This record gives sequence, structure tokens and C-alpha cells, in this order.
Amino acid sequence: MPAHAVFARTPFKSTLTGTLLAVGLCLAPPAAHAQLASDAAGTTAQSPSGLWLTTPYPAFSAPIGEDVTIDLSLANRGLPPQRVALSVEGLPEGWQWQIKGSGKPVAAAIAALDETVDLSLQLTPPENAVGQTVNFTVAARSEDGAMELPLTLTLTETMPAQLTLEPELPALRGTARSTFDFQVEVANDGQEDTVVNLLAEAPPGFQVSFKERYGSQELTSLPLSAGGTKNLEVSVDPPENAEAGQYPVMVQATGGDASARTQLVLDITGRPDLSLSGPGGRLSGEATAGEARSFEFTLENRGTAPARSISFSSSPPSGWEVTFSPERIEEIASGESSSVNVSITPSDQAIAGDYVVSVRANGDGASDSESFRVTVRTSTVWGVVGLGIIAAAVAVLGVAVTRYGRR
Amino acid sequence: MRQREGSPFTGLSTVALKEAADHMTSARIHLVMLLVLLTAIGAVYAAIGQIRDTVSEDAFLFLRLFSTAREPLPSFVAFLGFLLPLVAIALGFDAINGEYNRRTMSRILSQPIYRDGLLTGKFLGGLLVIAICLLTLWLLVTGLGILLLGLPPSGEEVVRGLAFLLASFVYAGVWLAVALVFSTLFRSPATSALATLTVWLLFTVFWPILAPLIAGALAPVDIFDPTTAIARVEVEQVISRLSPNTLYGEMTLALLNPETRSLGLVFAHQLSQALIGAPLPVSESLMLVWPQLACMIAALVVLFTIAYVAFQRQEIRA
Repeated sequence: MPAHAVFARTPFKSTLTGTLLAVGLCLAPPAAHAQLASDAAGTTAQSPSGLWLTTPYPAFSAPIGEDVTIDLSLANRGLPPQRVALSVEGLPEGWQWQIKGSGKPVAAAIAALDETVDLSLQLTPPENAVGQTVNFTVAARSEDGAMELPLTLTLTETMPAQLTLEPELPALRGTARSTFDFQVEVANDGQEDTVVNLLAEAPPGFQVSFKERYGSQELTSLPLSAGGTKNLEVSVDPPENAEAGQYPVMVQATGGDASARTQLVLDITGRPDLSLSGPGGRLSGEATAGEARSFEFTLENRGTAPARSISFSSSPPSGWEVTFSPERIEEIASGESSSVNVSITPSDQAIAGDYVVSVRANGDGASDSESFRVTVRTSTVWGVVGLGIIAAAVAVLGVAVTRYGRR
Repeated sequence: MRQREGSPFTGLSTVALKEAADHMTSARIHLVMLLVLLTAIGAVYAAIGQIRDTVSEDAFLFLRLFSTAREPLPSFVAFLGFLLPLVAIALGFDAINGEYNRRTMSRILSQPIYRDGLLTGKFLGGLLVIAICLLTLWLLVTGLGILLLGLPPSGEEVVRGLAFLLASFVYAGVWLAVALVFSTLFRSPATSALATLTVWLLFTVFWPILAPLIAGALAPVDIFDPTTAIARVEVEQVISRLSPNTLYGEMTLALLNPETRSLGLVFAHQLSQALIGAPLPVSESLMLVWPQLACMIAALVVLFTIAYVAFQRQEIRA
């Protein structure tokens, strides 16, 4: 046993005769406490010894409609353990109280030497007690004396739920094909739990969905406890044909009577989208080996921004020649189309049949390619040669007939 | 020389129709045609079974009927390539010398019929019989196909089938002309028959063996010069195309397999980005076989001319 405790015990026994003191010590923390001690002040500069019943907030207010829980602690410094009976006095009619230690209702507690016992006082106010200020005391009685801890409680109206919506980045920029993901924090600043319904007002064609951040499930509502916050992801999917421009999306959260709204802005930039199509929409044609054949292709810009500096390329079979006229188109406005003549010359050694020639248009940020099927026809020269051979044979026959046919 | 009086073709149709009628009633032709008919039906029936077992979908099902083979039988086309010359030889090997042997030649020519008319009539009569046989066979095969496959042939298949019929007809005509030439040249029918059969055996059996040998002699391959290998292949192709069997085989290949794009040597660069297996249009297939067909028609005309010249110069008082 430490020396100072022995030293402190003797005066406690000899001088104290059940005096009740409730004093604030200059060395103690600025907290309400009830002390049962012998050498109140002055005896020593060492830490005080004695038995205390304390609470951090002796005067406070609480919302009505709920049980009020007050944290108490019974501290023993330098005294032998002793039984302390606990009770609450001075509560008006209709109030109920209970002291709990480690979750169980208790009526008395023992604090070991230099230990602290945590207790909680649970008060159940009557329903009509709004605005009342109640003064009551927690009384602790030991065999050496009694302590009182006076407390003041004011019951107030409960604060209703109050919602705020806070977007992290309220304006995003992208193309009509991208998905815009806004991070929004919804907070309940009130003192009541609530269920938040999520709504969005978007221009027609825009799809808005709510998700938990890093979650995959779409939400329509979510429970939000008092003082709680939730991070949401608001995904906006614009229609692919959306014109370039700024589009506002209003996001609203409502829960009970409270609601909050915030505006998100989508800044959609246009993009060109090229589409190449063959003559008359067909992707096949005929050509004769060794002879140039011209096909009129149509290049359409289906995007939302003009397509610029479009050049053409092709990958013909070996020995083939493919030329474009014009070789380059400077600009096709959105929604406009332009025609380009593709001249295809099959190799003069090409054999009859179908070949694939891929034709490609490359613009700034947009391109399209098509596989064009060319049916090669062989030249009819050999047909004429065959006829010539037959004609020669018939001529020989004719000569024979004129020479020998006279008998 | 005095000018000939009247048309040289007087009595042509009479001779041709009589010749055809004689053939149609002769036991020799009955036997040969029975052989052809039985083998053809067997081949087609086997082909239908094969098609039913293996083909799920084909745009040219009726053409497969002609070209599909099922072990141990060869395909209909292979049968025709082998047997059509036999039919033609049977029809023509004693066309002229048979008349001498029966001592009827001077009797016929004492009628108001020119020699031109007689020879042409004999040839046309044989061709008529061949045409009737082939048309019957073709209709039989197509009918069997419709009956057993349950599908009508498409327009393109009909066009290709008719072109195949024409090719077979010209092929048989060439062999008829060969037989006619030998029957004119030799007085004995046995000799002319043997001579014709010799030519037929040469082209059918030995030509595929001889062609590479002759090509090897004409265009030796230098292993350090790949162009000589190409030259060798080309020479070999030219030599093998002297045989009507080769020409007929190439024609049936191009007509009955629409995927055939070329009958000659094809280099890889000619096939770059080509859609292998895409069928050729009918017109292109016809263009492909036209040189072969033209050569066969020309050969037919030249052979007939030889027979004509030989016959005109012959002494017929026998």
C-alpha cells in the first residue's frame, strides 16, 4: 500500500464524523462531482484521495419523447473499497428512473481502490413534460456518509429532421456517349431518423440513377439516422443524340417534412460520327479485271459536331488500285452528307469471283470503314478468241466442201 | 469439174432419221444404253444417299447430285466421262465401212443423195441419238433428285445443268467424230473399232500418265529457278488439255462446282482478300468453260472435216 494512502487514512478516521461535503476542488477537473473525502484541501499537493460520484454534464437539455440517459461514474482514490447505495431523489410525479451498471439495473456499487465504476442513469419522462426544468439529485450512501450529485434537466421539443444535399463536383463535362457520375453527400442534420426519398428532374431522354458510392444497386430511398450522412453516386446518362450544350439536372431528397435539392450541370460537348455507305446503300459491286470502275460512296456525319479533315484509305488486294475523288473532305457539318467517288481497278491478273476491299474514312475524332465486296468479271476477249477458233474450224470445213464437194 | 446440181443436203434428213431409227432399234445400242442407264441411276442413287447423310444445307443441291460420289461408286459425272465415249464409239465405228461391208453404199448413192448428205446425215443421226440419250438421262437424274430430295432445282441450277448437258453432248460428239473418221479411213469395222478404242484408251487411261512425262522432257525443271517449275506446270496443262477427257473434266468442274474460280494455275497474290468459297455467277462460270467448249466444238468440226475429205476422195464402187 502506498505511503500517502496510509497517511491519508488516519486523519479520515480520526477527524471526519460523517460530514457531507460537496465542494469543487481547484485541482479536480471542471466537472460536477460529489466527494466523500477527509482531507478536502490543503493537506497535500498530491492527487486528492476520496470517493466521488461525477457526471460530465450536470445541467443539460434533452428532446422529449425519448428516454434520457446520463453517464455517471463512481471513482475511488486512496480509500478502501466500500459499498455505495445509489438512489435518485427529487424527481417530480410521473418520472421513472433506473440506474444501470454494465447493462444491468443496479441499486448499489463498490468502487475498488483507485478504480472507477461506470454507471448510467436512465430517466423516462412523462409525455406531457415539454419545457419542464427538473432539478433532482443522485444520492449515494456509504457506511461512512452520503453524497449528493445535483442535476438539472430541461426537456425541449425535438428538432425535426433536416436534410442537406452537397454535391462534390456539381458540374461535369463530357460527350453525349459518356456517363456522368456525380458524387453527392446527403446529410440529416436533425435529431430524428428519417427515410429519404430520392428524386431527379432531368431533361427528356436523360436517365438518372442513384447508387450508393461504390455500390451497384440502384436506390430510390434510403434510411438516414439523425446526424448521419450517406455518400451517393448520381449517374446521368444522356441520350446519344443530345446536342452540345449545358443541361441542368435537379436532384431532390425528401424525408418527412424536410427536403433538400441541389442542381447538377452536365456540359455536353458534341462529337462527329461518320458513317460510310456504298452506292445505293449496297456494299457490293461488279468490276472487270484490269478495268477501272467507279462507285459512289456516301459519307454521312450522324454526330453532333462537324467532322473535319476527312481523308480516305483502303486496303485492296495485291495488284489492285483504289483511288478516291476527292481525296480529302475538309468539313461535313452535323447531319450533312457528302459523296465520294471510289474508283476500283482490279488487277489484270485477277481471277473471276468475289473479293473484299475495305474502304475507310478517317476524320478528326471520327472514322468509319466498310468492307466492299467486288465481284470481278473476266474480260470477254477469250470468248471472242473461242468464237474465232470455231470460225476457223468451220472455215476449214467450208474450204473442204468447196474443194471436194463437187462430185 | 462440173457444177453440182441441186442442194447437197437433199435427203439429209431422211438419212439422219433413218440412221437414228436404225440405232434406236439395234441391240448394240440397247446394250450400251442399258449399261449407261444402270450405272447412272446407281451413281445418282448413291449420291442422293450421300447428300441426305452429310449435307445439311447447300445452295446447289442439284449440282451435287451430279458430282457427289459415294464409295465404291464414282460420281455420275465420272461415269459419263468414261462411258459417253463408249456410246459414241458404238454409234459411229462402222458408220461408213459398215455400208461397204453390207454392200449398200453404192445402192444408197445411186439415190439422189450426195456424199455430203450421206456423211452429214450419218453424223447428225448419231448426234441425235446421243442427244436423246443425254436428255433422257438428265431428266431422269433431275426427276430422281426432285423425288428423293423433295426440292425443285433453282433457276441457276437449271442453267448450269443445261450447260453441263451441252458440254456432255459436245464431248460425246467429239468421240462420235473420231469414230466416224476411223470408219471412213479403214474398210474393216473391226479395225476401225479397235483404232477408236485405242485412241479412247490412250486419252482416258494413258494420257494422265504421259502428260507429265512429255512435259518433263519439254520443260525440265531447274530447282534453282522457280519460273521453270511454273513453265513445267503450264506445259503439262497444255499437253493434258489435248485430251477431250481433260477438257470435259474441267468443264464439269467449273459448271457443277460454282465455287471454282479458275481452271489454270492460280498464284497466291491473285487470291489475296478473295472470298474463297463464294460461288461464281453463272455467266462467269460459262466464261470460264467457254475456251474448253470452243476447243471441243472446233475439234468436232475439224474431225468431221477430215472424215468428209477422206470420204469424198474415196472410191466407192465396191
